Amino acid sequence: MKWMLFSPEIFYLLAALCFLLLSMTGRLHRRRDHHIALALAVAGVAVCVASLQLEGSLFSETYKIDLFSQVFKLLLSVGLALVVGICSELRGIQERYEHEVYLLLFPCTLATMLLVSSIHWLGVYVSLELSSYSLYILVALRKDWTQGIEAGLKYFLVGVFASAMMLFGMVILYGTTGTLDVKQLAQILPGLMSHAAVVVGLLLALSGFFFKLAVFPFHFWAADVYQGAAHQIAAYIATVSKVAAIAVLVRMVAMLGGSSDYFVHVLAVLSVVSMTVGNLAAIAQKDLKRLLAYSTVAHAGYVLIGILSMNPGGYAGAIFYAMAILVMKFTVFLVLVKVAWDGTNLEVDGLAGLHRRSPLLAMALMVALFSLAGLPPTVGFTGKFLIFTAAMERGHFALVLIAMINVVISLYYYLLMLRAAYLLEPQEQCSPLSLSAPIKLLAGALVVVMVAAGIFPRYLMDLARNAAQGLM
Amino acid sequence: MPMEFAGFPFLSAILISCLAGFFIILCLPEARAREIKWVGAVCSGMTLALAIYLFFAYDKSRGGLQFVERVQWIPSLGIQYFNAADGFNLPNLLLSGIVFFTGVLTMWELEIRVKEFFALYFLMVTGVFGLFMSMDLFFIFVWYDVSLFPMYPLIAIWGTTRKEYGAMKLTLYLLAGSALILPAILYLFVQSGLNTFDIVRLMQPGTFTAYQQKFAFILLYLGFGILAGVWPFHTWSPVGHVAAPHGVSMVHAGVLMKIGAFGVLRVAMFLCPQGWQHWAQLMALLASIGIIYGVLVGLRQTDLKYVIGYSSVSHMGIVGLGLSTMTVSGLNGAVFQMFAHGVMTALLFSSVGYIYDRTHTKAIAELGGLSRIMPVASGYFIVAAMAGMGVPGLASFWGELLVLLSAFETYPIRGTLAISALAVSALFMLRVVQKTFYGPANPKYVDLQDVPFSLGVPRMILVTVILLFGFFPSLLLDMIETASIPFINGLPR
Repeated sequence: MKWMLFSPEIFYLLAALCFLLLSMTGRLHRRRDHHIALALAVAGVAVCVASLQLEGSLFSETYKIDLFSQVFKLLLSVGLALVVGICSELRGIQERYEHEVYLLLFPCTLATMLLVSSIHWLGVYVSLELSSYSLYILVALRKDWTQGIEAGLKYFLVGVFASAMMLFGMVILYGTTGTLDVKQLAQILPGLMSHAAVVVGLLLALSGFFFKLAVFPFHFWAADVYQGAAHQIAAYIATVSKVAAIAVLVRMVAMLGGSSDYFVHVLAVLSVVSMTVGNLAAIAQKDLKRLLAYSTVAHAGYVLIGILSMNPGGYAGAIFYAMAILVMKFTVFLVLVKVAWDGTNLEVDGLAGLHRRSPLLAMALMVALFSLAGLPPTVGFTGKFLIFTAAMERGHFALVLIAMINVVISLYYYLLMLRAAYLLEPQEQCSPLSLSAPIKLLAGALVVVMVAAGIFPRYLMDLARNAAQGLM
Repeated sequence: MPMEFAGFPFLSAILISCLAGFFIILCLPEARAREIKWVGAVCSGMTLALAIYLFFAYDKSRGGLQFVERVQWIPSLGIQYFNAADGFNLPNLLLSGIVFFTGVLTMWELEIRVKEFFALYFLMVTGVFGLFMSMDLFFIFVWYDVSLFPMYPLIAIWGTTRKEYGAMKLTLYLLAGSALILPAILYLFVQSGLNTFDIVRLMQPGTFTAYQQKFAFILLYLGFGILAGVWPFHTWSPVGHVAAPHGVSMVHAGVLMKIGAFGVLRVAMFLCPQGWQHWAQLMALLASIGIIYGVLVGLRQTDLKYVIGYSSVSHMGIVGLGLSTMTVSGLNGAVFQMFAHGVMTALLFSSVGYIYDRTHTKAIAELGGLSRIMPVASGYFIVAAMAGMGVPGLASFWGELLVLLSAFETYPIRGTLAISALAVSALFMLRVVQKTFYGPANPKYVDLQDVPFSLGVPRMILVTVILLFGFFPSLLLDMIETASIPFINGLPR
């Protein structure tokens, strides 16, 4: 029965195999594939819900199943299901590669699930590579060949560079402690944290996830990759991939990071620079996806505040914020996919007239933008509130103030997007957007979730708290 | 959830009327503009009725917090949904009810994107009511933001002069205020060690050290002060007033700026009385500069709405000056002035709104001689302008009198300057009245209709209120004193 613990991972492995077989049949059945993918993704959510309460460990205690990992697996599966939900028309992807999209999305999700449970650096590394390689390919599948290849190559180069740094960090950790098992490290490291080598090793080892989360200085890929990838793939990178990165950072910092001021200082600098650079760069962007990419960099900075607070409140805040990012970023991408239905890139001004073309999407966009900006009563505000409270408990007053100033800066470009959707009139006549009933339902549900989780955050907060409690 | 209600939750009923209006309007189709407006009128009327009821049902002999409603919202963080009424917030609730209701009626002639307008309008006002009645720091912050963010679309879509610029400037300024408020609130929350956002518990003497109070007070004062139009952070306010559609200007100048002053009172002064004492000199200085500056800049304006905008800066300076005196009468005057200025400025914007809708200009030079064409519309404006000058018999008189008397005692020099500035303000209001409504009539506008009775209703209500509280100031003062006397007596010496 121990294998029950592994059921979400097994499920996603089988799903991936299923698509491998389907792709071998050769003929493309767009609708059939999409339906199968959707059914499997939703079933995956069910599996993750069913295994939410499981606890235990596998593979000689290098793989931990606890509430923390299961909550994140649930989030990842929800993220995948949402992304698959907007894949009904993959116009941004080259037709002959459409098979491969699901074939790669499922293993990538599997890899992120492995990530959140791994507590051995080798396991972490291997899972990270699996998820990254899937994404490198997915990014390059863009219909506009040059764009896709450029983005894929950039992603790949920065990614392997980050991987190399990560390996180097792991080597240093191994050299100083003689182990890569996180549990053992957690016992050895507290006594060694005064050694610069250990701190450097740990930071380098985490750099793979700074890369995934697009923390400064590992953020350079973000704008180009978002712009170059198909919308659905960018949505996946912006949601699922970020959630996984947050999970690993939270777990590793919670287990290994304690009792070093240097470490906290470095994280604080990364956080401040990330949010400032991200927000200032986002102001200058014309392309919607580039703008979202830089806003992601800024959000990485906010999440880091929660992580570097190193108290249960901070971790809970980061977990809650991961949920928030998933919902609000996805909502923006949903709008993007529907407005830019032909799969081409969209400028911010391309949202013009959205309030008439589809009032529902315009409203969803408005709520998502206010949530991203962290205005109450939305889920984004609650996330920021939890993070800032935790940081204040650790006396990081300046950090909170800087973050709040950044929130105001970010509001500027979110309002510009809102202005485009509600105020600008399109150059040429644009017909109303026709949305299928499930998409309408989805957009409505997302709005409700974002607002309801902002007004009644109690149960989600308790879930995040309990998950964080298990880490310490 | 453990709950505690003292009788029927009247305060929540106000919020529920607003939200009910919001949801009903959201569900109505865009084409049913008439129905949307009627829903707006009925729901806002209900809030006004409830506010009036609360105002008169409050037991002044008992004082203190009444109509308490308390629901544990997020127990792990000590967050409660905690509403109560006292002598400070009841006048503001009444004011919000009046301005909200008359604002909806003022926007009766709106024709473009009616549904979105009223939905956002209701959302904004929900935040306003919520902030005034809340006694929980977390909720105060939430309501603060809820009352602000609908402003951007409201101004940017339905506004006039430089609307996008005005909307963006206003939103960013006010949210910059919240960037100071949230850290300060969290700082107080953490430093108290009580794990609660409950103002009543946090305001117990000895909760915070003198240093903590000084530190938090200045952040809160600046944060809320931006919204109260404190000089030199006022620049968003005239621009925003001018750009906003009339009904929004009314709520905006009439109520939203009061939120700022009320926040200074309820959060900063309640929680950090020693900080207040420490920074009172600065508050008085900035307020006096605001009074003088607003008047002088107002003198040079050529746009009718800019004139009102700068007079608001000046009048809000009086509120600030009253708050800085640390005396009972100063505090009474400040709260009275919040109310009086709210009603007065709402009337100003409402009457300008009518004129602008007909003439499509706000330039004073172009209007000229309007009193011959629209005697009634001009009459409304002139009454409001008189109130702005502080003419006895109108509500503002009492507020200004109380504040200036106590300011004169506490800060003789600044008090004197402020009084002389008000003399100039009479000049500037009279100049506007003379240029706009007297002199030769502009032939372009000769054929325009005067205000019909149905559209005059909101203005009549406002005039009545101004006169009522002008002749019977004790109605309001007795109420405010139930809160201000215990508050001043409870201050650490």
